[in-house]
Amino acid sequence: MGNPLVTILGVGNFLFADEGFGIRVIEKLQAEYRFPEEVLVVDGGVLGIHLLGVISQPDHLIVVDAVRNRGKAGDLYRLAGEDIPRRVLAKNSLHQVDLLEALTLCQALDKVPETVILGVEPEDIETLSLEMTPAVRRQVAPMVARVLQELDRLGVTYSRRSPS
Amino acid sequence: MGKRITIDPITRIEGHLRIEVEVEGGKVVNAWSSGTLFRGIEVILQGRDPRDAHHFVQRSCGVCTYVHALASVRAVDDAVGIKVPANARLIRNLLNGAQYQHDHIVHFYHLHALDWVDIVSALKADPAKTAALSDNTSNAPWGGRQYFKNVQVRLQTFVDSGQLGPFANAYWGHSAYQLPPEANLMAAAHYIEALRMQARAARMHAIFGGKNPHPQSLVVGGVTSVADLTPDRIAEFLYITKETQDFVKNVYIPDLLAVASFYKEWGGIGGCTNFLTYGEFPASDQEPESFYIPRGIIRQRDLGKIEMVDQQKVTEDVTRSWYVKSEPKHPFEGETRPIEENPKYDPDKGQYSWAKAPRYDGLPCEVGPLARVLVAYAKGHTEIKPLVDSTLKQLDIPASALFSTLGRTAARGLEAVAIGEAMQGWVTELVENLKNGDTRTYQPYEMPESASGVGLNDVPRGALGHWIRIEDGKIGNYQYVVPSTWNLGPRDGAGNLSPVEEALIGTPVADPQKPLEVLRTVHSFDPCLACAIHVIDPHSNEVYKIRVV
Repeated sequence: MGNPLVTILGVGNFLFADEGFGIRVIEKLQAEYRFPEEVLVVDGGVLGIHLLGVISQPDHLIVVDAVRNRGKAGDLYRLAGEDIPRRVLAKNSLHQVDLLEALTLCQALDKVPETVILGVEPEDIETLSLEMTPAVRRQVAPMVARVLQELDRLGVTYSRRSPS
Repeated sequence: MGKRITIDPITRIEGHLRIEVEVEGGKVVNAWSSGTLFRGIEVILQGRDPRDAHHFVQRSCGVCTYVHALASVRAVDDAVGIKVPANARLIRNLLNGAQYQHDHIVHFYHLHALDWVDIVSALKADPAKTAALSDNTSNAPWGGRQYFKNVQVRLQTFVDSGQLGPFANAYWGHSAYQLPPEANLMAAAHYIEALRMQARAARMHAIFGGKNPHPQSLVVGGVTSVADLTPDRIAEFLYITKETQDFVKNVYIPDLLAVASFYKEWGGIGGCTNFLTYGEFPASDQEPESFYIPRGIIRQRDLGKIEMVDQQKVTEDVTRSWYVKSEPKHPFEGETRPIEENPKYDPDKGQYSWAKAPRYDGLPCEVGPLARVLVAYAKGHTEIKPLVDSTLKQLDIPASALFSTLGRTAARGLEAVAIGEAMQGWVTELVENLKNGDTRTYQPYEMPESASGVGLNDVPRGALGHWIRIEDGKIGNYQYVVPSTWNLGPRDGAGNLSPVEEALIGTPVADPQKPLEVLRTVHSFDPCLACAIHVIDPHSNEVYKIRVV
């Protein structure tokens, strides 16, 4: 008790090639590491507003996703604080209540977690395929390391699972 | 030729739904709905083990994760020829019911309310008068002058910071908003409370779902929530169900009635002609006879004659869609062959949507809450009919007003009440079974070499069908026809308009630059279109544009 709550949230859709990156990182984290109980590791899929319950709980939120940042495929990014776009949810967008909008809605609940978005530049997010492109697939392990760095920054301890 | 207005939300990929209307003399005279719907799942599924299909299909939508998994395991249950044990049926019902409760609250408050509620007007409300209004109209547990004052301060902070967030909207102050400032403030307060409620309601799925989001507890043959069938887990589920139901009855419904009373003319706007529901929530192995929400078709608004549904009569027409020309096909024969050339948007004569046009016996049919409530009402449903009758009486409107945008939005709330009540009975039944030593949750089966199966379901947004063909023990073909395609597809080869296109005709438009009235009807269908792609784009601008052509 008393430790800050941390949620690691992978988002994306593994049906569309590089769109699955965030989910694949989460799967690897779950398979290879043990985390204390104040750390939740969540596969958020492509849910927008339905993730509000997940994102309005913790003190710290680490999001892993494909991020289009006009770089080259496989580039890794870290967005925090002011870099996180303040996307506006106009009620005239039809259902585009995405993750960033859900974060904005957290403000209405007075519960906005300190958020870091860790992203990879995708190459292909349109082909229906369970396989990521090589440039992006290569970045799963480095991204796992980056997530762990964030936990180090927050003073969270974790351990590697022994290969069974 | 009237004025053409295009409403085209530009998303990170391409417009998911583009609505074009032609306005003459202040009214919509023609409408076209163009959608990008999730297509091509069969590409990924072909050759896979049928038992795995639900893991893939539930990733095809960003709003309704559970429902595609349910439809998929039911289609395979059907193909392998089994009935699941009573406990599995109850847990599947409870998870689907939880989806309804959660979805309907989110839709009313977070996706639809701001079509009717003017947030900026709420800033002008008198908190003391709002408290009095709330005491008179709502059974909400929150209230008092100070509470509403605090909400107002919070809204003002949003507005002042320029971080309008959910309340950023170009239409505040539009002449079509008719609520007094106090009603706007009350609704805005409940918008925020509903955010809290929905975050809690989502936990219902986590209890019997193994995980949330993306519940993993469904399998062909039943469910895997064996470890969760303990008194304390069931009690926790029941507790959240009741809490959610209290919110529906004490906040959602009073708000719905309060808002509707200012918009009665919408009981004459936005109606459709034919209605289809597959029905849902089996009470036994007898399907569809034992469904809590009955199966049926209504043609030409004739509530005196409800027909039984024959899934053989479902076809998809691609005449006006960007696919290679072919006859309307049943989903078992369904194919997805996009045209080779670049799609050209030609609403007047040619192809204009990625959505196909689903038809029943050649007819476009509205699916969803209104279809379900109308069929139940016409059949004299013991819980739903009284709810509808008392609502009509309270609003002092005739039954014919149900065929409308108002009726659609009201039906959603009323079925949330009925289903929430029924869920508590299913929990009791589950507990009784366990007490009597029936703990079965799974029915073993043999995977046939070849078979075909159909899963017909009704989920929050409407009729959802999954069709599977098994060949050599693997998936040979897999198709689904989703509710938003029924409601928001394009015209068909016979020239029939889709439900949303038909519903929009006759809608008044006060200001073509701000087609708020059009959005009211479009949103009332709760469109859910291919949220399947999801990438953060820090450079994306406002997602909305209106072109007056």
